[in-house]
Amino acid sequence: MNVQQARIESERCLQCFDAPCTAACPTHIDVTKFIGMIRSGNILGAAEVVKTSNALANTCGSVCPQEIFCQSVCTRAQQDSPIQIRELHRFATQYERERGYSIPKVFPKKVGKVAVIGAGPSGLGCAYELAKFGYDVYVYDSGRPGGVPRNSIPSFRLADDELDLDTKFLSQFFALKRQTIDAKSFKNIVQSHGATFVAIGLGLDRSLGIPGENLKGVVPVLTFLEKAKAKPRSMKIGKKVVIVGGGNVSLDAAATAKRLGAESVILIYRRSEKEMRVWKSELEEARAQGVEIRFLTNPVKVVGKSRVTGIKCRNTRLSKKKDKTGRPIPVEVQGSDFVLEANAVIVAIGQKIKADWLGGIKRTSAGYIKVDDDFQTSLPGVFAGGDVIAGEGTVVQSVAHGKHAAQAIHEFLSAK
Amino acid sequence: MRCVVEFRSFKEIEVYPTRDLSYDFLGIHFENPFILAAAPSTDNVDMVRRAFDMGWAGAILKTTSVEGTRVDLCYPMMSTFDHEGKKLFGMGNIDLISEHHIDKVEYNVRMLKKEFPEKMVAASIMAGRKEDWQSLVQRLEEAGADLIECSFSCPQGNIGEDPGKMLAQSVSATELTARWVKEATKKIPVSIKITPHVTDIVEVAKAVKRSGCDALTASNSIQALMGIDIRTFSPYPSLGGRSTYSGMTGPAIKPITLRTIAEIARNVDIPILGTGGASTWGDSVEFMSVGAGVVQFCTVVMHYGFRVIDDLKSGMSHYLQEMKFSSPVEIIGRALPNIVTHDDLPRRTIRSHIDEELCIACDLCVVACRDGGHMAIDQRPSRIPSVDHERCVGCGLCQHVCPVDGCISMQVVP
Repeated sequence: MNVQQARIESERCLQCFDAPCTAACPTHIDVTKFIGMIRSGNILGAAEVVKTSNALANTCGSVCPQEIFCQSVCTRAQQDSPIQIRELHRFATQYERERGYSIPKVFPKKVGKVAVIGAGPSGLGCAYELAKFGYDVYVYDSGRPGGVPRNSIPSFRLADDELDLDTKFLSQFFALKRQTIDAKSFKNIVQSHGATFVAIGLGLDRSLGIPGENLKGVVPVLTFLEKAKAKPRSMKIGKKVVIVGGGNVSLDAAATAKRLGAESVILIYRRSEKEMRVWKSELEEARAQGVEIRFLTNPVKVVGKSRVTGIKCRNTRLSKKKDKTGRPIPVEVQGSDFVLEANAVIVAIGQKIKADWLGGIKRTSAGYIKVDDDFQTSLPGVFAGGDVIAGEGTVVQSVAHGKHAAQAIHEFLSAK
Repeated sequence: MRCVVEFRSFKEIEVYPTRDLSYDFLGIHFENPFILAAAPSTDNVDMVRRAFDMGWAGAILKTTSVEGTRVDLCYPMMSTFDHEGKKLFGMGNIDLISEHHIDKVEYNVRMLKKEFPEKMVAASIMAGRKEDWQSLVQRLEEAGADLIECSFSCPQGNIGEDPGKMLAQSVSATELTARWVKEATKKIPVSIKITPHVTDIVEVAKAVKRSGCDALTASNSIQALMGIDIRTFSPYPSLGGRSTYSGMTGPAIKPITLRTIAEIARNVDIPILGTGGASTWGDSVEFMSVGAGVVQFCTVVMHYGFRVIDDLKSGMSHYLQEMKFSSPVEIIGRALPNIVTHDDLPRRTIRSHIDEELCIACDLCVVACRDGGHMAIDQRPSRIPSVDHERCVGCGLCQHVCPVDGCISMQVVP
């Protein structure tokens, strides 16, 4: 968007009071306020509003699925079409990038040290908010800050420099400690800080649990995406790629495989399109790139000698019974087996927590960390948020977890 | 979880420092240049409290008068002048002064000053007889008002009366009445709110200056007939098919106000409170650049609420930073030297230029020039028009009908 396009779009905004877009944004960016500022020509002010509420403003400007958040509830849609809120958000932050950054104020110091483990969206969101409260914040991570957006969101969705803008902006608010956590250091951290926020994400791919899964050429999706992002040039992918999955990560993998030169990319999913938990725009994008999607298809066996040569599949039908997620359970149709040729199989059926040092912290039935309404775990003073409590979510949801957990941590420390 | 349920009670912690926008004007300290005009928004003390909490620097309470003044309101009283999809481009009202008893207004001034000593609290008054004007001023000054604004110009509801029904339409009546008011004050400044509906605004301003009053509020709403229902022939706002002239405010009257303020500032040395058509921080800069010391707001608040103060302050802060101004005071009067008579304008040869990269081929410039200019822009098969510099005189019409920013420019021929 250029300045004029942004102004025209901003002038369409009705400036609703108590606006639904702001309520729908997990970080509650004051949408009408920043759009009103674009309208008046105060674009730097608009960028400040966005960055005040959302720690990863540049990142979210690129990757936020507006179709399920702000834009999906835009009042204007009832008259014609919704305001392009994310584009305006992005316009404001990009404008700030070109025109120079506003300097944040110095927050009045409070006595208190808080540890944040994991420098992904949730950890950074929490650290930012805690710093605003005036706490000394120490963020522990074994690598560069950024988490999933840094390591596995493909660069065609999120340019590295967008994320860098956010992490650079945030770096002034806390001390970053490069450290790999183990049980002992975790205990030390918890003891030496007033509160600890665990935001380590997941990181371990779930396996299919079918024969042949250990053949060469069967790749867990995170490994695939991380490698494709870190070393795109040395990355080799076969001509025929099959992806097992059904979430946004599987679409990222499909698009990445296409970009790496795969001739045919087939995504198999055991339910139908309706049950797929993906952003429609990304699904359409994948289709437009020639990714074939086979619904109602279950993998049965990976075929090959030492290397994968194909994947044996079986058709499914949806039963009337529903699982815990409210979606119908797929049932295999006997005698419908067929084999898809494949030089590579990418497994993208979800992730679990990788860390082995969480000790006795209680888990949910799905294996994530269990927290109360205040994001506190079963270990007093230890809070958690992001994917580690809810499974794979969006960047903005994770930022919001961190932000709102910070509020709870502040209340916890104030009550001490 | 709290991010879902506690949204409405969630308050962001400010991340960016707030710039100091304060300065002194008329001997009063203003925390920023933005104050609320005498209007429905300032008639209820709870509304003013809320506005002050949100950052408005001051308020002129809705005009009051002496006991016994009949305030005979009719409803509906609001109407709008919508233009090409923009609602409230102009807003009309047939409202009158506050229905509150002067005792109540006096009490409101006292309460607000007590609760918000740092805010500018002004009272607006209107009366007929000398003793009424004077008693109002005395009571309100006593109550703690920082400034008295005298409405000499409320046009609403007037029809067919003698010219000069609006006080400020008579130079001599303005001077006489303003003198009464000023005589009755002890310390606080008095501003006379005038109308642009006069033959010579400078004469009125000079009369106020001679009276000894401290400032002018320029200017009141524009007397207007807001529209006619073309099927029933009822004027707007329709009260059972009938209506009267309204006072029009809002963005539509901004250029009229700008001219009024500029004309006063160019000719009379008197502080001006700008009002009438400002909606944004940018409008405020314009008002101040032609001589206003502070800017009053009404219609934009009635449309979008007190929350617009956030952008007014933020936008002004960024503007000052960009311009390297240390205070809003530096804006006051900056544009005045550039306002000259027609005789003093530079005579140059200029021609229209179309940026073919930016052109979106709507050909609006073609038709405008063909039927309203000099037939100097030609259509081409590509639809990208071309200017014939022989026929183009440089009037600038094409530039203003072009929907693309920066596409058509007027360039000086050396």
